[in-house]
Amino acid sequence: MFLLDAPITGKRQVARGMFVIGMRAPEVAAIVRAGQFVNLGWDPGPLLRRPFSVYRSDSEHIEVVLKAVGGGTARLLAMEIGDRVSCLGPLGRGFDLTTGARSVVLISGGLGVAPMPLAARDAKAAGLQVTWVHGARTAAELCAESDAERVVWATDDGSQGTAGTAVAAAPEADVVLACGPNRMLAAVAERWPDAQVAVETYMGCGTGVCLGCAVPLRRGGYDRACTEGPVYRAADIDWEVLPSHLPYAVTV
Amino acid sequence: MTPDVSVDVGGLKLRGPVLAASGTFGYGTEVPLLERRALGGMISKGIFLRPRAGTAPPRIAETPSGMLNAIGLQGPGAEALVRDYAPQWKEWDFPVLVNINGESASEYGELTARLDGVPGVAGFEINISCPNVEQGGLYFGNDPRAAAAVTDAVRKRTKLPVWVKLTPMVSDIGVIARAVESAGADALCAINTVVGMSIDLNAYGPRLSFRTGGLSGPAIRPLAVHLAHQAARAVRIPVVGIGGITRAEDALEFLVAGCTAVQVGTATFANPTAIAEVHDGIAAFLEAKGFSSLAELPRYLPRD
Repeated sequence: MFLLDAPITGKRQVARGMFVIGMRAPEVAAIVRAGQFVNLGWDPGPLLRRPFSVYRSDSEHIEVVLKAVGGGTARLLAMEIGDRVSCLGPLGRGFDLTTGARSVVLISGGLGVAPMPLAARDAKAAGLQVTWVHGARTAAELCAESDAERVVWATDDGSQGTAGTAVAAAPEADVVLACGPNRMLAAVAERWPDAQVAVETYMGCGTGVCLGCAVPLRRGGYDRACTEGPVYRAADIDWEVLPSHLPYAVTV
Repeated sequence: MTPDVSVDVGGLKLRGPVLAASGTFGYGTEVPLLERRALGGMISKGIFLRPRAGTAPPRIAETPSGMLNAIGLQGPGAEALVRDYAPQWKEWDFPVLVNINGESASEYGELTARLDGVPGVAGFEINISCPNVEQGGLYFGNDPRAAAAVTDAVRKRTKLPVWVKLTPMVSDIGVIARAVESAGADALCAINTVVGMSIDLNAYGPRLSFRTGGLSGPAIRPLAVHLAHQAARAVRIPVVGIGGITRAEDALEFLVAGCTAVQVGTATFANPTAIAEVHDGIAAFLEAKGFSSLAELPRYLPRD
């Protein structure tokens, strides 16, 4: 875990209202794995940091993807190249791609694209054949970027690709990784109990001390999305108790 | 020369006046980035005798300059604390106090008896002020007789330092402060969180599943400075100030207002190195003002 002052190095739009911000964070970039996140703070900004899955990385930089959902993220989006963001990470446990499987399907809904480029990278490195199923409400909200041998698009209104959900459009594969609204992940759990899903929760510290990011477990009790998660075996989560709608959209 | 910032608080000699507040530092085994030299001490996450699952999510919500939490004292219980954490605390060069909770005075006493004498446990912070449990917690904190009964039950089971963490949800904190002082407390900690509520306008209901939560962060600091000051005026035992401390200047406000030490809590969530910055900033302030020790800091504490 590192705490860095990371200068912003780039910003680009990838869908309606959805942006990718890059920053120089070599210590994080060197070790981050797919599904892990960074907890970012900026000034002026909210009191608490906000968690973001790492979207892409190279040897020096990481990227995160975000939408302006409130005043805080709007201020982050308004920052300029060279402005500094406080970057804490990498945090959490990412996807496990060392399963000896031959194929993987990545299922993302909306901002759930966030961990998928790294997941595709790590899956390819592990010799897996990668299919990415990419869902959103409309074509305009679909992230324009994808890294996979095969890409399947799904929109609720049928404006691009299959009409319907990403989960319904997904083919079978040895390994299923998913990220998106918790409602979507609950549907993943129905179809593939062994899928690895990255959940979104409210988060306080990101380091395991505040117990704010509680994830209800089927076996009883709660653990911490920031430490034991944010990636879980789909069937291990008590989806009835995990809030399905986060009005402040703290997206992991 | 670096000023001497060591303090004596309710039976403990601390190398510095800044402690990690309960519930914001886990059991001290996380937060790897903090330089531990700056820690005067640590209060563990609040614990009950038996394991507790805690409340359902959402458990936290950010509010202007603060946050609401309703964790519900999730914890592994006394046996796991003794087995998993106390042996680590024993090796550390700062004291760890255990924040203790119960649903009755006798349960507080039973928990104290279980932890008393366990190597690594340097003292107790009695939580009579948690707003996020159905039984106990706040009830004991806003009734002077109940507060004294809990303090007495703990006092009878240990010779270790006993600190009592007070709630702001009272009409006169001095009354509660004097009651627990008379029952044998070695120090007071003021304040715990302020009960608050925030509404989700999409769901037409509370943002927290527990409905209400404890408000912490800079939003409560002036309230906390006032109540810590009121408590300090009411008693002869030391008061440890808590509430929205983010920078050294915030801690110094509590110290000038009559506190002997301070706890840093919510600030650690946003800044894992906040405690070191507060500690170093206090020393730098004293040096800049020409004081050779924290004891020389002028206090504003007219006696009632």
